[in-house]
Amino acid sequence: MKPIDLNEMGAIGAIAQEAEGKWGMVIDQDLCTGCQACVAACSMENNIAFVGEEDASYGRSLQWIRIERFWEGEYPEVKMTPFQPMLCQHCHNAPCEPVCPVFAAVHSPAEDLNLQVYNRCVGTRYCANNCPYQVRVFNWRDYERPEPLNNQFNPDVTVRRRGIMEKCTFCLQRIHRAEDLAKAEGREVRDGEFTTACAQACPADAIIFGRLDDPESRVNQLSKPDRGYQMLEELGTVPRITYFKEG
Amino acid sequence: MIKNIFGWLFSPLGRIALLIGGLTVLSLAVWGISLTQASPEQPIQFPHNRHVNFGIQCLYCHPGASRGPVAGLPTQTKCWGCHQQMQITETSELLKPLVQAVENNEPIQWVPVAIVPDFVQFNHRPHIAAGVNCEDCHGDMTQVTIAENPQVFNMGWCLNCHKEHSVDNPELRTKLLDCGTCHY
Repeated sequence: MKPIDLNEMGAIGAIAQEAEGKWGMVIDQDLCTGCQACVAACSMENNIAFVGEEDASYGRSLQWIRIERFWEGEYPEVKMTPFQPMLCQHCHNAPCEPVCPVFAAVHSPAEDLNLQVYNRCVGTRYCANNCPYQVRVFNWRDYERPEPLNNQFNPDVTVRRRGIMEKCTFCLQRIHRAEDLAKAEGREVRDGEFTTACAQACPADAIIFGRLDDPESRVNQLSKPDRGYQMLEELGTVPRITYFKEG
Repeated sequence: MIKNIFGWLFSPLGRIALLIGGLTVLSLAVWGISLTQASPEQPIQFPHNRHVNFGIQCLYCHPGASRGPVAGLPTQTKCWGCHQQMQITETSELLKPLVQAVENNEPIQWVPVAIVPDFVQFNHRPHIAAGVNCEDCHGDMTQVTIAENPQVFNMGWCLNCHKEHSVDNPELRTKLLDCGTCHY
């Protein structure tokens, strides 16, 4: 039997492997201490609601980034895996996009990111079910922000209402602000000029955000060592986040 | 049976009652629609036409438009900068709220007229930088007193302009027609 040449078949995964992407992230699991500062910073930046004890016990917590940790081996010889911050991988080949019946989960051709268009979303939750990383969260209710919590809303981010799927946007509002500033000053966005809320809050500098299409950027410089890997690489989703472990 | 119940409608008085009832419903509907179209109640009956005809630039009172997302509504101190030198400020009934606001050091609670929904992230700066004039979206202010919207700010209207401005620039077109440009 003739071996299948993915490039010849035009398989989308094989082609996507070559695509560079615009924005990317590097997460060093050896540096991560699991302090959850990124989780808190993300919630503050992106107007993420606090669901309360009852909904959290149903597994309806709203978090765009979470710190995962797994057990390895059998009890009593249990070994903990390193902390693993998990957020939207902004796959080039995202499984969430083709399943949305209303095109609310779409790919941004301009920024090469996965978008969630809140005003299109009707809440079928197909995207969350098809996401291999389980990073999409659903607004089961209109969550209250009692005084004075409403004063800390970020005006650059939509406050999502009930029945809407949401996920990490790579802090698209910050990307836009930086691009807008750069354009006003007539230049390109410099690497390290701005960063996402999680990367900004990380005390260990384990999360680094930057441009993938600039070979001199910090993200690309760090991506070179061989200890980097991508989450569920075998699925061919081509994530934009590279993880480092045991370096 | 039906005729017994509605028989009175066919009497002369019944027809007049029917006519009055119909007119009432119609006028209520017209009034309701006109309410949705009317400009909101403002603390000061601000005459845009007079200020523009004096030659004051839009950006003098709404300076945010050239540098950021929000154009801004002027504070009472900005009004006072010119108005304290004018005779009419002391005599005019319409300017009483301004004088009070300045004396009590209270902000004027302007009601924004040109608004977009919460899920739209609009930024004035790139529009001004691209050469769009204020009146292209907000209408000719020499014609109105309190600002009115000449059109509904909906997505089809936004996209029409975005398409027209990017016909011969594919890169710009990608950016201008991208969902993530306005919705995040």
